[in-house]
Amino acid sequence: MLIEILQQTINGLAIGGVYVLIALGLTTVFGILGIAHFAHGSISMFGGYLTYFLVTAQGLPVLAAIPVALAAGILLGLLVEILAYRPVRNANHINAFIVALGLTMMVEGINLQLFGHEQVVIPTGLSRVFRLGGITVPELRLYVIVAAIVLVVAMMIFVERTKTGQAIRAVAENRDAAILMGVNVRTIPLIVFGMSTALGVAAGIMVGALFAIAPGIGEGLVVKGFAVLILGGLGSFPGAILGGTVLGITESIAAGFISSAYKDVIAFVVMILVLLIRPQGLLGRAP
Amino acid sequence: MNRILPLLPWLLALALLAVLPQVLTVKYYLHLSILALIWVIVAQGQNLIQGFTGYVSIVQAGFMGIGAYGSTLMGLNFQWPLWATMIMAPLITALFALATGYPSLRVKGHYFAIVTLAFNLIIVIVLVNYSELTKGEAGISNIPKPWGGNREAFYYLALVLAASLTLLAALIARSRVGEILLAIRQNEDLVAALGIAAWKYKLFAFVISAMYAGLGGALYAHFQGFINPEIFGVAQSLDAILAVILGGSGTIAGPAIGAFLVVFLPEFLRFADSFRLILYGLILVLATIFMPIGIVGIIKAAFARIARREVRHGG
Repeated sequence: MLIEILQQTINGLAIGGVYVLIALGLTTVFGILGIAHFAHGSISMFGGYLTYFLVTAQGLPVLAAIPVALAAGILLGLLVEILAYRPVRNANHINAFIVALGLTMMVEGINLQLFGHEQVVIPTGLSRVFRLGGITVPELRLYVIVAAIVLVVAMMIFVERTKTGQAIRAVAENRDAAILMGVNVRTIPLIVFGMSTALGVAAGIMVGALFAIAPGIGEGLVVKGFAVLILGGLGSFPGAILGGTVLGITESIAAGFISSAYKDVIAFVVMILVLLIRPQGLLGRAP
Repeated sequence: MNRILPLLPWLLALALLAVLPQVLTVKYYLHLSILALIWVIVAQGQNLIQGFTGYVSIVQAGFMGIGAYGSTLMGLNFQWPLWATMIMAPLITALFALATGYPSLRVKGHYFAIVTLAFNLIIVIVLVNYSELTKGEAGISNIPKPWGGNREAFYYLALVLAASLTLLAALIARSRVGEILLAIRQNEDLVAALGIAAWKYKLFAFVISAMYAGLGGALYAHFQGFINPEIFGVAQSLDAILAVILGGSGTIAGPAIGAFLVVFLPEFLRFADSFRLILYGLILVLATIFMPIGIVGIIKAAFARIARREVRHGG
């Protein structure tokens, strides 16, 4: 029983890492631009698909394909910001959200057009399995967990320690004051979109290597990402990290002990319960 | 005269729709028109919560599914007559909406949208997996149709229902409740500051909008004779949003026009089948950026300009 719980916790950490990366991207975009970037999941999947394509059709090694997919994903993210979100920046938030929904349809359509309907798995060749007591940890899962931790730490250092990071936080705190202090508010959205798309594409590649990429997966992922934000508290980085980990582990344990068909339902029920009991989220400040 | 004039386009449209089955020679267009009328009901419901109250709900198709499966399963398992199950469908949907609306309406804006979307996903997951009851992904076929499947009769049923529910939406919009809903859209904090319990009105709008969807779903099931979970997915909820935006959010004519557009537009875009999703998304993005007031808004603005010019010239 205990072994089984530990095993599911380890499994949950890998998927939780994916949720944390997606949620951090969403929370920075939301915190700084006030946009619920719904197309985030589909763009992430674009990166995952592209990695698969580069590895299988072009014969690139996975480690070489990843930077190409990251660059292409970031480019797509920047285009989305410039062409679609910027025009509705000053409109009411419903319009921005509907633009995001339209963009999701477009990116999903582009994915279908370029990569087809088939479910694909990125071949990594990492098939070793580590055993520790009664617990088995596939090599790939371990690397995903480590990579997620490295990316989260790198992002925290960038936001907390660098000058650009300070400017981003300044815009999030008070846009007008940041402009007065000489922060260039035209480049900040681009940096933010670039950063969050990079995290998203990394998550997309992880999903493609761990599970599979298929049409509609991106939408499911972005909903999970928002569920994490609701769980952890809006605009809170530690909240996103805690929320993503909690959601991943809950889901794994629910899939192992209750029902794998209903694991998503259980995840959403947890989110709704948190909303009922603590509307500001686990680590959010009370309004 | 001034009281009747604004009604004139409505009467004209109604008369046109009433003779439509007599002049349509292609049976397929009659089929699409019935679907469009069903979508008028669904979109009018969506407009109550999205257009008037300002809360974008992404569960309208899920609620349609509850109405569709509710009516079908009651008929199948309890042998209730078709009319009884169709009347029960919106009531069952209302119960679901009460249970889901209460937690969802605790958050605003984007987060309300996400939570309702999660509900739509839950509904589909349950419909797929609870297969002892719902027959899973394969769906339920041979659902009884009224009048032995006579399309023309069904058309008039859908027309009468769409027209009366549009009228009901107009009456709600003009009532005190409607005014409060509009005020919530403009400034919810101010409404609360006036001592009005905004949540009651939001919940009312949400439940009524779900009942519209539930009835629309039941009509859909008994018109098509076949349902499966995929029909009631998030993509269809986005169609409901699109209908409201394209037609004109927060107007009465808007959702009606928008419903016809979302049913007929994909048919005309058939030539671009694999690009349809991209085109559809593009239309949604462009419409929101360049005509956020919708078709009805543009027509109204044009009329207002003409009227102003006439006043100026007439002196």
